[in-house]
Parts: sequence; structure tokens; C-alpha cells
Amino acid sequence: MGRIALAVGAVAAIVYPIPLQIQGTTYYQTVGFLVLLNAMLGVGWNVIGGWTGQFDFGPQVFFAVGAYTAALLYVKLGVDAWLGLPVAVGAAALICAVLTYPLTRLRGHYFAISTVAIWMIAQPIGSTWEYIGAAQGLFIPVKAHAGVVGSALSLQFSGPTKALGYYYAALVLFAATLALMAWVERSKLGFYFRAIRDDQEAAEGIGIDSRLYKVIARSLTAAVFGGAGVLYAFWALSVFPEQALELNWSTLPIMATVVGGIGRLWGPVLGAAILIPISQIMSTTLGTGPLAGRGIDLIVYGLIIVVIAAFRPTGLLSLPWARWFRRRSATS
Amino acid sequence: MTELAQAVVNGLQMGFLYALVAVGLTIIWGLMEMINFAHGEFLMLGMFGAWWLSASFRLDPLLAILPIALVMFAFGMLVYQQLMRRVQGGDPFTQIFATIGLLFLLQNAVVAGFTSDYRFVNDTLLQRLGGARLTVLGITFAVPLLLAAGLALLLFLALYLLIERTEFGLALQATSEDRDAARLVGIRPQRMFAVAWGLGAALVAIAGAILVNFFSVYPQVGLPFTVLAYAIVALGGFGSILGTLLAALLVGVIQSVTVVYLPPAFKDAFVFGSYLLIGLLRPQGLFGRF
Repeated sequence: MGRIALAVGAVAAIVYPIPLQIQGTTYYQTVGFLVLLNAMLGVGWNVIGGWTGQFDFGPQVFFAVGAYTAALLYVKLGVDAWLGLPVAVGAAALICAVLTYPLTRLRGHYFAISTVAIWMIAQPIGSTWEYIGAAQGLFIPVKAHAGVVGSALSLQFSGPTKALGYYYAALVLFAATLALMAWVERSKLGFYFRAIRDDQEAAEGIGIDSRLYKVIARSLTAAVFGGAGVLYAFWALSVFPEQALELNWSTLPIMATVVGGIGRLWGPVLGAAILIPISQIMSTTLGTGPLAGRGIDLIVYGLIIVVIAAFRPTGLLSLPWARWFRRRSATS
Repeated sequence: MTELAQAVVNGLQMGFLYALVAVGLTIIWGLMEMINFAHGEFLMLGMFGAWWLSASFRLDPLLAILPIALVMFAFGMLVYQQLMRRVQGGDPFTQIFATIGLLFLLQNAVVAGFTSDYRFVNDTLLQRLGGARLTVLGITFAVPLLLAAGLALLLFLALYLLIERTEFGLALQATSEDRDAARLVGIRPQRMFAVAWGLGAALVAIAGAILVNFFSVYPQVGLPFTVLAYAIVALGGFGSILGTLLAALLVGVIQSVTVVYLPPAFKDAFVFGSYLLIGLLRPQGLFGRF
């Protein structure tokens, strides 16, 4: 059952943009790109927030670390994005580990505020550091590439295939993240994370070093954010502090995780597939009308989150879908 | 030297305003140990209320304090009874998400109703004193800010007496320490929580009505204050009213002294740097008892 659903989902994700591309529209490929990007971030956030139970409000710092690292390598040294990607992911994970280890002395609310603190400190550094372009940031020039292969190898798509190219690039990174986290979930690491969440003292009692594993969990989250940052930087063709350190890079994935089901591997994926199109579709339907740009999509987000938190805090995936389906097939 | 002393004085004056914003959070978060990420949105509602009363009825923000406080008290109780009561028993993360949802809802409902434009409340009683300055030993005090600081002190004193010296305050403390034991001695915990939310919302809305004399009003004004208020309450030590006041003053001073030496962008970075430093060296906060 699970395997079939996975195969159907994978085929649907791969085929989805093709008829659109033939029709000549590119809009829904971009929506798909944003869904995959936020789903990937949510799957990453789930490690520290869902499995390890630590409220991390500052993962966007590592999104920025990834984006800046790859952009700097490309702009200053001419290193292509795919080569820059592992360096950026490594830098995000390493910087996260160094910053997070002292923070793990704090627990609960205090830890959560300390992650915000790191973000608050990162912002003026980003906007005043001349080497990384200060408030202006870095611009990523588009190079001319020979054909599809050249574009794919350098992660630089342009023209009418830009949206399609980045959609598939996001799909690749998303699938890699999902596969990694599916493995982590069933590995010893995953059990340690959940043991710390459920009862830190008991976990320490059986010899789990809670500080070490919190650092590992947050570094895994940071690695995912760093990777997504690289992709986003090359899509946006620029990195600047207000964009890369934007609060939305944590609130949207967190909301997606909660809506879909916190602590469940597929939770953020379902959440992102619901939330991101709402915003995109609303901005097209409202167009330039009187309610355009009035945050109607965010009102809907707020309502969804409030209702889920009040009535089903474990998320949509935790609803008894299997039972409902069985009943329907039994009655029909 | 005078420049530094002036910066400290300016910081103290700002600190009193921050204290006003943080004190409502001391009750909801510090005392009752419930998370409210929409705290800044309550502040924003208070500021919008003051702006609206001033624009429609030419009511001075200082006189608007009473109606705003009453309405927001009812609103805070409503939020508890309709939303927070449901999520109170569950995982702590549901409180965080419920109030993040509330944040989005309130902020963007105001955007939908009033747009994101910046608004100003002009010609208020406090602003008419705008030119008035007191100069002592070469250090300038702005009279409107001094008056606002006086108001903040009064409010703190009233709250301190309410929490520490009245039967109601003791019941509130008892509820926060042990709900079941409180119920056994005849306190109704849910009512206590509802009143605490009402009180917290009313206090931060009063802060909003005072803040409109000095800050512009727009729907997104709340979040930076929320973030600062959390740092202040944590710095001061959970639930300590005096600690909150002193931490708020400290935060104001850190900000204004930072700006003397570094670009203004760094002022919050140093506040949060201090939070990290103090948090790591003294996890119970500056004035926490445990």
C-alpha cells in the first residue's frame, strides 16, 4: 500500500509540469518549485522540532549560510552550484554545530529564544559585512550554457525552461532530503532524538548524551536549510540579508509541519502542498482588486493553524484516514 | 563622557516603554507559564485602538487608555476561553502554534481592514510637551518620555501590589504553582487563567496607547516588540515583576549605548548577545528565584 502510494506520488511529481510546459505556461512550475522547497525545509525542521522536540525559530540563519556560501564560491572563485552545494551544506551544519553546542545548556523556552537570538545577531552582521556585499548582497550572473545538460550541470536555468529546470532541481534535492530523513527516522539516531523529546532525564539515564544529540539534530536541520538556500539563491540570482534571513523561511516550513503532522516524515510535505498553493492561488485570484496585497492568504493561514492547534494538534496525517477509507469502500 | 551618560539616560527612558510592553507578558508567560506569540499583536491592537479613537473622536491617547484597557481585557479573556483553554492541557508546542496562528490572523485582519500604511497620532497631550526639555548637568531629559516613564512606574507598582499583596494575586500565584491544589482550596483555575489573560492583554494594550505618542502605527509593529519582550522577561527571571522592570531598563541602555559606538542595526544584536551571555552563565535570569 505504502509503496504503491509512494510510486504514484513520485510519478505524479515527475509528470506534473510536462503538460503545462507543452501548453506554454510556467506559472504552476514555479508554484511546484515553492511547494517542494518549503516541503524540503519542513522535512528538515521536523528533525529538531518534531523528533527532538526543541523549538527552533532560527533555522533561516543556516538557509542564509548555505545561500551565501554557494554564491560566494560562484561569484569570487567561479565554482559551480553543484560543487558549491556540498560545501554550503557542510558549512551550514558545521556553523550550526559550533553555535548550538553552548545553547543546548538552555532548555525549553530559553532554548527557543536563544535560536531567535542567533538570528537577531546574524541580521546586522549580514547587512554590514562588506565582503559578502553588506545590505546589497551578492548578484549571481547568468552564464550562457550549451543546452539542457549544461544548464542542469551548472544549476543555471533561464528563459522559458527556467521554472521547469528549477522545479526538477528542487524535486531532486527534496527527494534526497526525504530519503535521508526516512533513513534517520528508522536509525538509532531517530530513536535517540525521540527519546530526548519524550523524556530527557530518562534518555540521559540510559546513556544518551542529550546535548550531543540535540546538536546533531539541529545540524541535520541546518544542513537541509543550507542546501535549500543554495537552490533558492541560484533561482533568485541574488542573495541579500533581508531575503536570505527572512522570517518566512522558518514560519512557513514550521506551519507546513504543524498542519501536516509534526514528527511525521510526510507531515511537512502534505502541509506545504496545502499551504503554499493557497497563497499563490489567492494572489492570482485577487489580482489587482481591492483586497490584493491585504494579507488575505495569511488570514487563511492563521485560521488553519488556529483550528489545527485547537482541534487536531497532531496534524492532518494523524486523522484516521485508513478507517475512513475502509468504511467508504465497505459501503460502496 | 557626556555622550555616554546621555545615551544611558535615553536608554533608561526607552527602557520604561519596553517595561510597559513586557509586563503583560510577565503575567501570561512568566507567571502563568503560557506562551503567547501574539503578544505584540495585542500591543498593535492597543495602538490601532488609540489611533482610531484619536482620528475619529479626537480622543487623546492618554484618555483612551481606559476604554482600550477594558475592551482588551475582555478580548484577552475571550482568547483564553475560546482558544487557549483548548490547547492548555496538551503539548506545550500547541500553545506556540495556536498563538502563531493568532498572530497571523490578527495582524493580517488589520492589514485587510486598514492596509499596511504607517499612521501617526498627532497633537497629543504628551506631544504638545514635545519641545520641553530638562537639562541637568549637561544631560537632556525629554519631558514626554519622563512622563511616560512615570506612568510605567505607576503601572508596575499597581501590578506589583496586585500580585503580591492582594488575595486575588495570591490566588493567581497559587494557580500557577499547582492547579490541582489551588482547586482544592476553592480557587477556580480556569477563571484565574482567563483573568490573567485579560490582565496581560489589557496591560500591553495600555502600553500601546502610550507608545502611539512616540511610534508610528502599522499592522506589523508588534513582532519586534514581542521578540524584545520575550528576551526581557527571560532576562529578568521568569515571573519576577521587579526583574522585568530592571531587565527592560537594561535592554534600553544596551540599545542606546550600542548605537553610540556601532551602526544602529546592531542595537538588537547586542541585546540578544547579552541574553545569550546571561542565559548561559545564569540560566534562571538576572533576578529569578530558582
